[in-house]
Amino acid sequence: MTFWRNGVRTPAWWAAAILGVALFSFDIAGYVRGGTTDWKTVFFLVTMAIALVTGLGVWAWRPQTHMGPLIYWWPALTVAGDLMVAYPRSRTAATLGLGLYTMGLIVFAQMSLSYSNGKLVSEYPRKSLVGRAAWFYIFIGGYAAQVIQNLYNLAVVDGRGCPYCFPTQERSWLYIGKAPFSLDWWNRGWGIEILVVLPIGLAVTWLKFARQPPGGRRTFLPIAVGGTIATFFGATVLYFIVVADQAALGSVSSYSWIQTAGQLGAALAVFVGLLIVRRARGPIGNLVVELRRAGPGGVRPALARAIGDPSLELALWLPERGVWADESGVEMSLPEGRDRAVTYIGDDLAALVHDPVFLHQPALLEAVGSAARFALENERLQAELRAQLAELRESRARIVRAGDEERRRLERDLHDGAQQRLLGIGMALQLLQTARDGDREQLLAETEVEVQAALAELRELARGIHPAVLTDHGLGPAVRTLAERSPVPVDVGASDERLPGEVETAVYFIVAEALANVAKHAHASRASVSVARENGIVRVEVSDDGVGGAALDGGTGLRGLADRAGALDGTLEVVSAPGAGTRVLVVIPCAS
Amino acid sequence: MGATVLIVDDHPTFRKFARRLLEQCGFVVVGEAEDAAGALAATLELRPEAVLLDVLLPDGSGLDVAAELAAADQSPAVVLTSSRSAGDLGVALAEAPARGFIPKASFTGAAFAELVA
Repeated sequence: MTFWRNGVRTPAWWAAAILGVALFSFDIAGYVRGGTTDWKTVFFLVTMAIALVTGLGVWAWRPQTHMGPLIYWWPALTVAGDLMVAYPRSRTAATLGLGLYTMGLIVFAQMSLSYSNGKLVSEYPRKSLVGRAAWFYIFIGGYAAQVIQNLYNLAVVDGRGCPYCFPTQERSWLYIGKAPFSLDWWNRGWGIEILVVLPIGLAVTWLKFARQPPGGRRTFLPIAVGGTIATFFGATVLYFIVVADQAALGSVSSYSWIQTAGQLGAALAVFVGLLIVRRARGPIGNLVVELRRAGPGGVRPALARAIGDPSLELALWLPERGVWADESGVEMSLPEGRDRAVTYIGDDLAALVHDPVFLHQPALLEAVGSAARFALENERLQAELRAQLAELRESRARIVRAGDEERRRLERDLHDGAQQRLLGIGMALQLLQTARDGDREQLLAETEVEVQAALAELRELARGIHPAVLTDHGLGPAVRTLAERSPVPVDVGASDERLPGEVETAVYFIVAEALANVAKHAHASRASVSVARENGIVRVEVSDDGVGGAALDGGTGLRGLADRAGALDGTLEVVSAPGAGTRVLVVIPCAS
Repeated sequence: MGATVLIVDDHPTFRKFARRLLEQCGFVVVGEAEDAAGALAATLELRPEAVLLDVLLPDGSGLDVAAELAAADQSPAVVLTSSRSAGDLGVALAEAPARGFIPKASFTGAAFAELVA
């Protein structure tokens, strides 16, 4: 009995429930005592019972709107008024009946126009023509006019001796006496009032219908149709009572079941409409519970279940990267076209990629989105983290690969360079042992060349591993040395200030590689290097006036430089429009 | 008249001094090649009696060259050499169809003559 447990029952609710049950019991008891087993009466009572239960249910489940009391008072007042039919010879019942006559019907009209949030035609602004018309219809043409009419009836109606004139055969406790003026004139005026007010009510009802969203129309249609039938019938009966001759009334009254049928349709529609709302709310409730339990990556399946779309994809906006990504942080693009629909959640938070059929349930998608907001924020952080992790993993692998590659290169350089020279020198020494004088001098000269070449190659190699000038004199002199060796003229702006070793090394190799790229690819006439430390940040810029068009992933070793900067929490950016030179900008944090 | 020799190595310094050491010992160096393809072509053309063959060639392994030479008619005597030690080159070296292996660091004409003889 979750319906019962989920409800909110105030003392007012309990009072209303007890009153409702009491009214029904009295009414039924009256009919039973009077021996009435008319099926129309049973039909009427069943309809009213459904309306009463619906009203009490909505009152308990959705206490924040006035819908519950509105639905409740319609059958409650109608049945209270009906007591005069069940007890035709009771003056108390006559007082109640004449006093409340058709009041229930007006509450019903108000309820219909207030579906489903309890506010009168909330589809239109209150001050609009439709808003004002609805207000006039219910409060002036409805309640105010009916109160006047009923006060009049209480004062003058006397059913004694005229079994078909009125539903009761008594007079009220407020009975004064026969009307001092002609009943006909009063009745004609009354008939005209109804004929003016009712078209307004019908127009407002169907204007309200026109503004319903596609999903809402399905529920509101029976209410509008039922309302129209019930009101029309009420009007017709009233018209015949007051304007036409009394004989016609008898035949019209025997068709009162049409009015009841209209009301039953409306009652059932309200009931089912609420069930649909509850069915839509059920999954949201489950979703909230599921999301609380969902681990990383568990949000998408939970949302898919809540919406009922197994094909649902989740896209999360990663603001730092400016891309959409799935839950594992893998970049994705939102689909365009008609096969898939996209519903955005929050400002730049997430997007649901779903079957377009769910576009007809915007309320469901919105509710799911709101319920999942917090979880989605979380999921987004996770995705961001995963993307960072993946990036880190890639960069780490690249750094390891670059390290391996570097060692292989060193081995090859040693093998092909200095080692071959030394082997040659060894062989020359063997030859020297047996060489004749003339050959001896030539061999010595050749050996000397080999020794010099071996030394030069070893020096070059050592500088490639770690330049002594960097170790001994710091970044400024080391960068100037790089600039001197560059085939392209380089302007250097760098101080002699010493920086932490790892920063100096990183910046040195970045500048070295960047200048090597300038020499190899840029076709530049000049280049410049600047290194500056400011507010705990080292900024390095290597720029040239060459052909541009360099890219981080262009295979020029820039990616490796970016990894080097990244390893120190720094960033490397390449600005290189074709034809506009290349600028490599590096920022590395460097506390003093 | 000593045996004819083809020297196969991608380093010109080694080829230069190896030629002189071999010539000192009476060998006739009929040609030089710097890679695997060149070695096979030169062997076919020059028909040397012996080949001094570097294991690590730019376009392949000297061991594969040795296997091909061994499969041919009138296969020359192959002596393998490398700047690496025998241990670095692994078991494939021992299984190669060659007279023997001389590390470059201890290469002498006499060592070559001993293996070829």
